[in-house]
Amino acid sequence: MAFRLRVKPPRSGFARVALAFVVMAGLPLGASARATATLDGASVFFFSDTLTLVARGGARFALADGTRASADAAYVDLKTDRVVLAGHARVTRGEASANADAIALEIDADRVDLLDAASGVTRTSRALGPASPAEFDAQRFAFPDVDDRYAFIKSRHATIVPHADVRFSPASFPTSVGGVPVPSYLHSFSTGAGFSSSSLQGATFDQPYGLWGSENALTALHARWESGPGAALGLQQQLVSGDDAYATAAIDAPLRGYPVSGFNAYRRLGSRYTLSVDGSGSKYGASGHVGLGSGFLGLDYFRSTFGSSSFTAALRTRDRPLFGGVTYRLSGNAGFDAQYGGLLGQLPDARRYATVWRHGLDLSIAAPTVHIPLGATLTTTYDVSRTWYSFPHYNDSFSANAAVTRPLTRTVTLFGYYLATWNANVYPNAQALFYPTLNPPLLLPDGTPYFGYAAFSGAGMSRTESGVLQFTPNGNTSYRLTVTHAADFPQFGGFGRPQWEARADVKFRPFPNIGIDVGRAYDFDWGGMRWQPRWSFAITP
Amino acid sequence: MLLAAAAAATLFRVVPLACAGDRLAVAGAGVLRLAEGASCAAIVPGRAIAISLDADNRATPQTLTPDALPAAKIPRAAYLIAPAAERDADQTELVTSTIDVFVPPRTPPGDDIFLSTERSGWSPAEVRMDRVDARHFRLVLKLRQGARVAFRVTRGSFGTIERDENRALPRAHVAKGEPDAHVRIDVAAWADID
Repeated sequence: MAFRLRVKPPRSGFARVALAFVVMAGLPLGASARATATLDGASVFFFSDTLTLVARGGARFALADGTRASADAAYVDLKTDRVVLAGHARVTRGEASANADAIALEIDADRVDLLDAASGVTRTSRALGPASPAEFDAQRFAFPDVDDRYAFIKSRHATIVPHADVRFSPASFPTSVGGVPVPSYLHSFSTGAGFSSSSLQGATFDQPYGLWGSENALTALHARWESGPGAALGLQQQLVSGDDAYATAAIDAPLRGYPVSGFNAYRRLGSRYTLSVDGSGSKYGASGHVGLGSGFLGLDYFRSTFGSSSFTAALRTRDRPLFGGVTYRLSGNAGFDAQYGGLLGQLPDARRYATVWRHGLDLSIAAPTVHIPLGATLTTTYDVSRTWYSFPHYNDSFSANAAVTRPLTRTVTLFGYYLATWNANVYPNAQALFYPTLNPPLLLPDGTPYFGYAAFSGAGMSRTESGVLQFTPNGNTSYRLTVTHAADFPQFGGFGRPQWEARADVKFRPFPNIGIDVGRAYDFDWGGMRWQPRWSFAITP
Repeated sequence: MLLAAAAAATLFRVVPLACAGDRLAVAGAGVLRLAEGASCAAIVPGRAIAISLDADNRATPQTLTPDALPAAKIPRAAYLIAPAAERDADQTELVTSTIDVFVPPRTPPGDDIFLSTERSGWSPAEVRMDRVDARHFRLVLKLRQGARVAFRVTRGSFGTIERDENRALPRAHVAKGEPDAHVRIDVAAWADID
């Protein structure tokens, strides 16, 4: 089931983005749903958490079937597609018309309720035939009491695609820090699982800007900040079929660097299996993966243009009780690793070993959270595995993790973690061939020799000790101090993980609609630097 | 004297749908009769105001104050046209919605847990949850009454999004803007683990 991905070197990142923009812009047209309603007003406010639109200062509402309505104010509930026109309301369709003090109608249904403050409620249809008396249904005439100051978007014109999106023209963002007014803004509120998928690379900051959308598709431009290349533009197309299937394709073009393209597709097969395909490519090459997954089975195949491929078939149990709340899970796997030209480059006849088969077993044990002295709780997990290869070689791994939680007050909690992993690659009778003593010794980036590396002969250790103090005075605010010590082997002055890291995170909500999560971390005395700071920053709705 | 009487009277916060003659239609409530001397001049449909009711249950527009009662508290006897069913549509009120997330045992102990919601276009690291213990995270959201926020749980990226027991993407969870609303999520698996 091999497939190839070939990416030709682009002439430039922007040329590639422009080309992708043109190509992908055409893709969603077939999937774009026709707008079925528009709302105009001197001011149109959008509240994203309640999915509510309120138009003031002379509201005008129009449906695709020719129904037109006007009033002093209008309210549209995007969750239920209900519309309320309040004050001097009038609805027309062709030659027919009706006037009332308030009118309630629906975007995707025929019913029209007319409220006359003097005579009560009458009911008719979109055809506006003779109206018949009806009860005052409070639900249909609910017009929410909203505060315009907390609107997410302020506009003058909204184009509504039910259950999919709203386009605002223009759009300003009164409660968003740094939100720049734009001539047009698409807000998608479809909840299909594929809309949360992405084939863009990870980024420190990613602000999507919807270009086109429907209930099943979204094309979005992404303004990004990526660690390393810095500022970048991304373009992503998503095609979604509810929660059962999706396909995304994206191109990520850093302003300084080379573009990376990616795709990602998923389909649910019945109630127990899922099929996934993904890949990425740059001017240096491409790689792809296809997988079949379920609760007890996993099949994964990877292939790259660098000549490497691998396949793994895994069977696993669910978590099963062992004793006293302790659970275990056993998994076994088999497959191969392949590399054009040979996997074991240390051997003179490496070409003989272009494909190496392997099989492995993994036992995972998880203890429940238990109370320990000093009012703390303890949670531990253990994992042991061995993988055998068709070449004389096996890999052993053992890991143990412990997490302690100690509430100090109702709002202050202390956490401690100890994570340890021991790993050994064993080549019987050939250990020195695969882990030779380096002469001259390994040099670090700053030129310092790492003599201790000579002791590394395939067995490594990774240990993390971490302490976290968390203060959560209320639901909107939290402060967190973290100190982490990494004691690994091999590890030395810039080789491996930094030994000490300190980090502070603050999460707070300066305005009702805006949350800020800012973090500052320092790596100490590593890689020839006294300390190395990093920022993390997020604005949340 | 009128002001003193009004100050002593109970105020109700209402959203007028329309006002004509001596009739005031109130959103989600019914139709009230205006008191003698009261006019529709200051009433803007769709914009919340306060009203007081006199002994004859006639309404007089007042300055809106924070202690005004919701429209649902208006005595039914006050309505000229009463609703068949009452509903308070106050969306200015912030309510607390608590989300508790329990993660599976093989979750890396130091990893943060995030909520991804439609509000941010499903940014996978939108809101960081507070840790309760090694496998329990909590987030207290302040939501507008009537809000409905669809969300998914991640460890900070789409590659670490939650999966169900069959390793399939689950439907979005929903946090509702209702007083003391609570959602418990038991994450069965992660996309990148198992």
